[in-house]
Amino acid sequence: MDFFEIFNIPFMQRAFLGSILLAILFGLFGTFIVPRKLGFMADGISHASLLGIAIGIFVGFYPLAFAILISAIFGFLLARVNDYSRITQDGLVGVFLAGGMSGAIILLSFMPGYRPELLSYLFGNLLSIQWLEIYGLTSLFILAILLFRIQWRSLVITTVHSDLAHVIGMPVTRTKYFLFIGTSVTLICGVKLLGIILVSALLIIPVLTANQIGRSFKSTLIATQLSGIIASVFGILLAYIFDIPSGPSIALLLVFTFISASIYSNIKKHKRIYQN
Amino acid sequence: MSNQIRLKEFTNENIVECSNLTIVMGNMEVLSKASCSIPKNALTFLVGENGSGKTSLVRSILGLTPIKNGEISINPINGRAPVFGYVPQNIEFPKHLQMTVIEYLQYSAAVPLSDIKSTLQNVDFPETHIVSRITELSGGQVQKLLLAAELFRSPDILFLDEPLSNVDSTSERHIIDVIMEIKNQGVSIVIITHDWQVISVYANHVICLNKNIICETSESCICRNSLSKINIKNIQKVTSDPNSTHEGYCYIQNI
Repeated sequence: MDFFEIFNIPFMQRAFLGSILLAILFGLFGTFIVPRKLGFMADGISHASLLGIAIGIFVGFYPLAFAILISAIFGFLLARVNDYSRITQDGLVGVFLAGGMSGAIILLSFMPGYRPELLSYLFGNLLSIQWLEIYGLTSLFILAILLFRIQWRSLVITTVHSDLAHVIGMPVTRTKYFLFIGTSVTLICGVKLLGIILVSALLIIPVLTANQIGRSFKSTLIATQLSGIIASVFGILLAYIFDIPSGPSIALLLVFTFISASIYSNIKKHKRIYQN
Repeated sequence: MSNQIRLKEFTNENIVECSNLTIVMGNMEVLSKASCSIPKNALTFLVGENGSGKTSLVRSILGLTPIKNGEISINPINGRAPVFGYVPQNIEFPKHLQMTVIEYLQYSAAVPLSDIKSTLQNVDFPETHIVSRITELSGGQVQKLLLAAELFRSPDILFLDEPLSNVDSTSERHIIDVIMEIKNQGVSIVIITHDWQVISVYANHVICLNKNIICETSESCICRNSLSKINIKNIQKVTSDPNSTHEGYCYIQNI
């Protein structure tokens, strides 16, 4: 089979298109989540959303809908935590993670027999992505890009210097809710590609990779997008060629790009020191 | 603007008035029934021991810290809310953004590229660091950068939390000159500081916070047990070394 025929296979077209849209969204949300030290939040929310998947499988209706609803509620509750709350965001994520995972496992234990679709949600499955989901993802993508465009300055300033954002009258609260709920919902949209276990990798690792080579906010943002897109597209190709789950394949490539960028950055730094 | 902060036309020359302000952080009362006022177009210094509530007072006026009781009134300027500026003492920029000095000015104060150099020169920011990332700057350089951005925004009232604490003596002089210049242009300035030499030379007004309790009258106060507003002209003697004569209450003697 000709290599380029891969791009004519409908489920591969869906996977490529979906992965590019997701990589762009994850890169944008990750750019503001990682500097706020909320990487654990992404991991916690995606794991806790297993409860939604379990409810969906249990009642026999589209599991991702329940997962999106649950993660949006978790995102909303996390955004409500502020400096004066008695609990930290980190602590609350821990509660969601424990509650969501245990609820899901107990619910699944009531269901008899082997549930093959569960593995797809845990580790990602290229074949499971449908055109309807791609249309939904495209709508979410357009909406998210519009919202990013509207509050870009507010997102940047609240991340860099939140006091200043308040003082100059930025919509700090609205921006925070957008970031938290938007990240939570987007994470779940990536579950079919990467799986619950590894979906946060696409949010966190491209930002860390870009930070190894970026010299400004703009160049770091571009590098984040490129590293996310490249790892996703090649990860899907590897998953197809070697018949492995797409989640680990993409995550491993993300780790590889991070290690490569770190080595490149260190070599460059040592060269500079040596030249000086 | 929060419920406890409101716009109100004053009959006097003040720009901000705080009455019976109580601020609670956790279980601790940081400020208790404190009243003070900030005069318009003046250089006001906010002094007091560590933990006396200086920063909390400023942050509550800016709406950054909620107040438990009391009221903050802001005098409108030409019928609109005054533009606030704020330079905090310490700020830790996030590491994973790689934001440069130029980008910071563009985002925080919408400084056009053509004005970046002059904006930074205004506060004696070293030209060699214009292309640096903000996380690579020293404490003093960060303070200068924040000040440069705030000055570009042309605030009506500017709050500076120990703006000279991390800068060298040459820059200190330069920054004081800049502050005096904008004050003369009509900007109201509030500075939190422990530098009594600067206060004695430049202050129009001093607000002294000690022990977080309000005094009954200015005569009984002497910057003791209280938050009180005093006119700097009334201070006859400022101790050369506040720490050596400090008795746990006040820095100022013989008002």
